[in-house]
Amino acid sequence: MKWLFTIETENDLIVVCRLMNIFRRKGIRLLTLAMASAPEGYKLIVVAEAPEADIEHHYNFLRRTEGVQHVAYYRHEPSHSTSFVFIDGEPGSLDAERWQELFPGAKLIFASHGKALFETPSHPGPRVASSETDQYKFLRFARVRTTRSSEANPAGAALQ
Amino acid sequence: MENPVTGSEILLESLRREKVEVVFGLPGGAVLPLYDALYSAGIRHLLVRHEQAAGFAADGYARVTGKPGVCLVTSGPGATNLMTALTSSLMDSIPVVALTGQVPASLIGKDGFQEADTIGISLPATKQSFQARAAAEIPAIIHRAFQAAISGRPGPVLVDLPKSVLMEKTTPRYPAEHDDSRHPLRHQEWRDEDIDRAAEMILKSRQALLYVGGGVIHAEAWRELRELAELTEIPVTTTLMGLGAFPSSHPLSLGMLGMHGSYATNRAVCESDLLIAVGARFDDRVTGRLNGFATKAKKIHIDVDPSEINKNVPADLALVGDARETLSALVAALRKRISGYSENTQRQAWLASIEEWRNEHPLNYDKSAPNVKPEYVIEMLSRYADEDAIVAVDVGQHQMWAAQFYDFYQPRTWLSSSGLGAMGYGFPAAMGAQLAFPDRQVIAIVGDGGFQMTLNDLATIAQYRVPVKIAILNNRALGMVRQWQEIFFEKRYCDIDLNFAPDFAKLAESYGIRGVRVEHRDGVKDAVRDMLSDREPCLVDFWVDPAENVYPIVPPGASLAEMIVEPPRVVLEEEEVLDDLWAV
Repeated sequence: MKWLFTIETENDLIVVCRLMNIFRRKGIRLLTLAMASAPEGYKLIVVAEAPEADIEHHYNFLRRTEGVQHVAYYRHEPSHSTSFVFIDGEPGSLDAERWQELFPGAKLIFASHGKALFETPSHPGPRVASSETDQYKFLRFARVRTTRSSEANPAGAALQ
Repeated sequence: MENPVTGSEILLESLRREKVEVVFGLPGGAVLPLYDALYSAGIRHLLVRHEQAAGFAADGYARVTGKPGVCLVTSGPGATNLMTALTSSLMDSIPVVALTGQVPASLIGKDGFQEADTIGISLPATKQSFQARAAAEIPAIIHRAFQAAISGRPGPVLVDLPKSVLMEKTTPRYPAEHDDSRHPLRHQEWRDEDIDRAAEMILKSRQALLYVGGGVIHAEAWRELRELAELTEIPVTTTLMGLGAFPSSHPLSLGMLGMHGSYATNRAVCESDLLIAVGARFDDRVTGRLNGFATKAKKIHIDVDPSEINKNVPADLALVGDARETLSALVAALRKRISGYSENTQRQAWLASIEEWRNEHPLNYDKSAPNVKPEYVIEMLSRYADEDAIVAVDVGQHQMWAAQFYDFYQPRTWLSSSGLGAMGYGFPAAMGAQLAFPDRQVIAIVGDGGFQMTLNDLATIAQYRVPVKIAILNNRALGMVRQWQEIFFEKRYCDIDLNFAPDFAKLAESYGIRGVRVEHRDGVKDAVRDMLSDREPCLVDFWVDPAENVYPIVPPGASLAEMIVEPPRVVLEEEEVLDDLWAV
């Protein structure tokens, strides 16, 4: 099953190295990984494959890792009721622009190296037919867990 | 503005502010500036003879005090030699701060002399790693290192210190005094209704069992544990890491469970209807085959580390939080309900069943044998050592016999590389514990195999007159390996023979340490009493029965219910009879 992780770390590359080693050791298969550096730290966005039975352990392991500030994981949801969309394209690319046209309230959460994650309002107004979105490289997710208490967290309790 | 000082001086001042009393270390090129500052720093330094011993000693110090142990080594081989010790501390959640020298910052990554990628190597061996790139960073890094080592689930932290940083001069800014890292950061995710639910589950259960790990000791939750056990009359079994969390002499104590747990304890696990795991991680040596583990029991799992929940065994109720605070809340919730508690008779029946199993198959050995039975040595040590004596063990058969036959009365008196199972741990760990408590008895119970891995630190205890007592259970073999080859590999003994070894007593004497060898049962009691009678280091080499095996044993891949309780009755084959006759 596909999962999308977003991870924010403090500004120390050692923490990122540790994360890479955790992915390897825990047998999490990375499908895509994008990383951005900012003065406050690093942001990683990872699409990974892992059995559903293991995912909660991975999430807990990541969130308790020293230097990791926030983690969220999203479950791949083929249905169109999902709220998070991972687009294979930079902001401003045709796919990204098309998504924002379809869902004007869509908010860019993360973008790096040809990947963009949009948070899309749950009720975006006019329903959009599948055929209108299927032609684009979208991966749809529903957020399952996050360490951020202030953000939407529909399927799990917020944890700090 | 204050005068600028070197990174080395800043580091030592940072250690002083963390109340560091002793550092275990071995100098080398990259840390020479630091040792130069140490010359007049007023922090005690114990010169070990191998960096691994520095790590194990710091671990031993941390286990007995609850405070981070500190070790200091040079770059390259100094740092790489430390990694086994750090991994052991990580597996057992022991707070250690390791300071490693590094080549000057300008040479990092250029394969300089004694350069190793210490940070890269340490990633899976530590809870966190830091590398200082400027002297001004040192105070904050050291403070964070100590905080990380003790907060939440404790663990080892490494700070890599380039030589140029140690020599750089700057005006330091230290973290504020009120930002006190010596108080562990408590962590709690449960809600009151979770505690209520746990209390209800406990009161509904008839055959409950407390399964207690090292987390209870780390959180100093032994009083709350005892209160809970006595309030509910729930028997307590401990993991190897949990020994000492609950007194062996207590009527509710069941001793250790798992691969070498007693018959009664493992049967109790199999028959229990509620297993309350506290600070324990359902390790494979505890559970045996997972799908056969405690199948009749609902599970409550209390742990400070959320990643332990549902890792190996699914929990019916998870309480993520500090063990002391969680148990305290649970006791309070139970006290509110206890007036309506009418299950006592059921609990008595449960305790009676366990007693019956105890009598059926007690931990036992041949007490009439004229040769030295290792279990007997442990019993004598337990009888004549002080109640607050600290016992450090290596890894192998002697470790299991000590866990089975030594009576523990207090927490923080049992030191064992439990998770990693690092041979060579016991003696240096005892050394570290003795530095923390110079007036208490500290006994290193070791095997001849493990002791030969770190015996070079006999020089250290001789030099500093560290009064560690070393009891070698010498079976002239890698005993646990031999036992497995005997039982599970059809007696195809391969490379377990350690007959080619020094005379340990004479070796000790050569270091100026009293050394004694005991080859007959009659000499054991006097040797133990004599060894414990003074405040000097001493080594006693007990030549134990080389054929003795540890029982019970749960075979690899089997469930606890499939344990082998006793050795099979021996029917001597012709060849063995001849061997025996020939030996006579």
